[in-house]
Amino acid sequence: MTIPVTRPSRPQTHPSRPQTHPDHPDHPDHPDHPSHPITRPAAQVHFGVFFQGVNHTTIWSDPESGSQTDFATFERVIRTAERGLFDAFFLGEGLRLRESRGALHDLDVVGRPDAITQLAALAAITTHIGLVATQNTTYNDPADLARRLQSLDVLSGGRAAWNVVTTDNAWTGANFRRGGYLDHALRYERAQGQLNVARQIWDAFPDSADGAGSPGSSDGGVAHVSEHSDLFDVELDPTTPRSPQGHPVIFQAGDSPQGRDFAAANADVIFSRHGSVLAEALEFAADVRRRAVAAGRPEDDVQIFPGTGIIVGDTPAEAEEKARWVRWNQVTPATALSTVGNIWGEDLSGYDPDGPLPAHDPVVEELGGERGSATTGARTREIAAQWRALAEAEHLSIRELVVRNSSERGFQGTPAAVAEDLVRWVRTGAVDGFNISPWIVPSGLDDIVDKVVPELQERGAYPASYTGTTLRENLGLRAPLTRRAAVGAA
Amino acid sequence: MPSSPFFVGLDADGAGAHPAAAAVARLAGTDLVSGTRLARTVRQAENAGLTFVSFTDALLPAVPGSPASARLDSVTRAAFVSRTTTAIGLVPQVPTTYPEPFHVAAQLASLDIAAAGRGGWIPSVTRDAATADAYGRAVVGDVAREARDVVQVVRDLWDSWEDDAVIRDVATGRYIDRERLHYVDFRGETFSVKGPLITPRPPQGQLVVLASDGDVAPVLDPAGGAGPLVDVTLVGGSGAATARGNAVAAREHSPLTGIDIEVVLDAGGRTGADRLAVLDASTPAGVRSPWDTSALRHVGSAAGLVALLTELATPGPDGRRPVDGVRLLPAVLDVDLPVLARDVLPALRAARLTAVPRPGASLRESLGLPRPANRYDTRVQADALSA
Repeated sequence: MTIPVTRPSRPQTHPSRPQTHPDHPDHPDHPDHPSHPITRPAAQVHFGVFFQGVNHTTIWSDPESGSQTDFATFERVIRTAERGLFDAFFLGEGLRLRESRGALHDLDVVGRPDAITQLAALAAITTHIGLVATQNTTYNDPADLARRLQSLDVLSGGRAAWNVVTTDNAWTGANFRRGGYLDHALRYERAQGQLNVARQIWDAFPDSADGAGSPGSSDGGVAHVSEHSDLFDVELDPTTPRSPQGHPVIFQAGDSPQGRDFAAANADVIFSRHGSVLAEALEFAADVRRRAVAAGRPEDDVQIFPGTGIIVGDTPAEAEEKARWVRWNQVTPATALSTVGNIWGEDLSGYDPDGPLPAHDPVVEELGGERGSATTGARTREIAAQWRALAEAEHLSIRELVVRNSSERGFQGTPAAVAEDLVRWVRTGAVDGFNISPWIVPSGLDDIVDKVVPELQERGAYPASYTGTTLRENLGLRAPLTRRAAVGAA
Repeated sequence: MPSSPFFVGLDADGAGAHPAAAAVARLAGTDLVSGTRLARTVRQAENAGLTFVSFTDALLPAVPGSPASARLDSVTRAAFVSRTTTAIGLVPQVPTTYPEPFHVAAQLASLDIAAAGRGGWIPSVTRDAATADAYGRAVVGDVAREARDVVQVVRDLWDSWEDDAVIRDVATGRYIDRERLHYVDFRGETFSVKGPLITPRPPQGQLVVLASDGDVAPVLDPAGGAGPLVDVTLVGGSGAATARGNAVAAREHSPLTGIDIEVVLDAGGRTGADRLAVLDASTPAGVRSPWDTSALRHVGSAAGLVALLTELATPGPDGRRPVDGVRLLPAVLDVDLPVLARDVLPALRAARLTAVPRPGASLRESLGLPRPANRYDTRVQADALSA
């Protein structure tokens, strides 16, 4: 069995339509659809890049794919992003290696650095791009995490951000001192407490910290931090002064109602999932604005950066061909069988990936398959039924089905067409920017920086240089939530 | 002949090792945490030919409430200078008592990757109750047990990926060979860790672990002969003879030994003794500081320090040096480091006692330590048995 690394060996029976170019004006995603008025005609597109590290969308089988671990790969990506005036470089967080049916999942890119450590190294070789560390609130100690984030923020001159995520299960906890200690329902309560401690630590130094340290002095001035609740008993004296941006920027990535409320109350930017269908993105944006206002904030106080992918070609046909190549390489035969096997809860590696789904239904009620991914056990049968219906309706093989399921992601087309789409998304108020996951590293951003960015600039929708030196400035964010009175009074 | 050059490390924390260093050097909190200053200091240390810099650290300040106690996380500092240097070892101090060992292992492995194999670690112990309060945990009474377990599991985690675990086998669609990754299944007395690490094996296999004598139980790893918990034991002593004796004793359980030496050098027309008197008079009350502990101390001329180091670096009648190197704790970095660079290290090099680390060399190579085999690699163990 070999995997096509240049073109799929057989034609796709139902090539997916580019989702951003629906061809009928009644389609809710059609650009002329009346539900998409341009509300922000001067808004600028912003970009971040998400170096995923562990995922099934980064193609590793192609000769162009570099090491996922070597520092040189990260350096190449972040230098490209900074050349393209990206606002942010994101790293994910790992707490435990994913498993499939009780064994380490071996089909995808895996193995990544600690985010803050890696970003500190990258800070020294960059000057403007933001450095976003995904860090969970469950298995980090608040004083330690707040200090490491602020250390990165200070050393980078105010370019750090924290992508706040929660996690809760005992499977993850097996790598940590406390084990799986936290009830799922309490995960956002824990996150809020963690953030409260972090903000106290970040606010502890006096604004005039620069003046301290005169000979022989040990003048007071750094506030003591104290947080006591059902989930925290923390007392400390911090050591970390503030960076020029005040606090690290807060990103948040949860999509549940609880997660959205947490973001509306706390986040500067939401790293959303709604980056493929404009109507969904608009609905999400409206929801976030409602929640922000309900939390007592201006409705534009929370920016939205969906995770997305961008594939460009010099002609629509070339883009389509490249997109198909990408998707068929993302879904190798082994990955297709593993993906379906995880839903079916059994080893399907003996099946023909170019053949039909198993004739029988999943044998387990709960998801026995992949650990460390988002799918939960209760949905197994439901997903299987959906997949079977889709496969039968469109006559799809196992691999075609998995490709089909993964194909509704992001933007594709000529650089000009993609630029038009991106501008529309921003200027209808659906999003503030895009967090792009390259499908190959380190070269996956080259087309975007070299071809899409100039198209955006020609349309007056992308800056010609960085507008500030801190991440907060470049994103156009207000002062940190706990420092607005202080800033206003100053 | 000694098998490896005499190592000379330097602590590069803050304004210097003396608790009044910031005040006397007139450095404000913002200077102490400046990335520009940090990068400049470590570059000076590299240019001076030092083997490594360490970054002393603690979660809590030396003087609670004082902006002059500003300090950033040590691993983050070390990572920041990993790309502004090419030869010098980077050795953060990270306590073992309260931090999460899984995170510590990943952070240090990541440092070693960014620094292309120049990473080290000083696992320390934390005895004060205030740190327990900062973590919201009960005070750990048996810090030695905790240190032993944490160093053990961190070392296990560094080996949890074999070097060739990433196979990228297009034919089978496998990115990794899961047989070459290992659950460490560590069960200590107070915690357990499943593994494997999220980060592949660091370039050195194992970062160099340096520890103050007594902080980490001096036992050889009993499991499979995977090597010692500590690579370099740092000892002190009230005088040179005591320090040498301590080093010789530590040699029994540690591949290398070093002596910590506090230095206050004659500089700027003032004697070291005068400088020390000013520093001591400026010391804030109640300061928590590693200064004035058990380290050997040299107060005086550069020539005197050269003589001391020469004596330590010269092999005895048995052909062995009494000690493999030193770590210098400069009272005030901005004052003492230039003197070290100008008057001390060149003299040692001229006498062929020390060597400048080669750009691109790992810290293990600079210290003459071998790259260890992986404790989980059954192929290596099979080779060893058949040999």
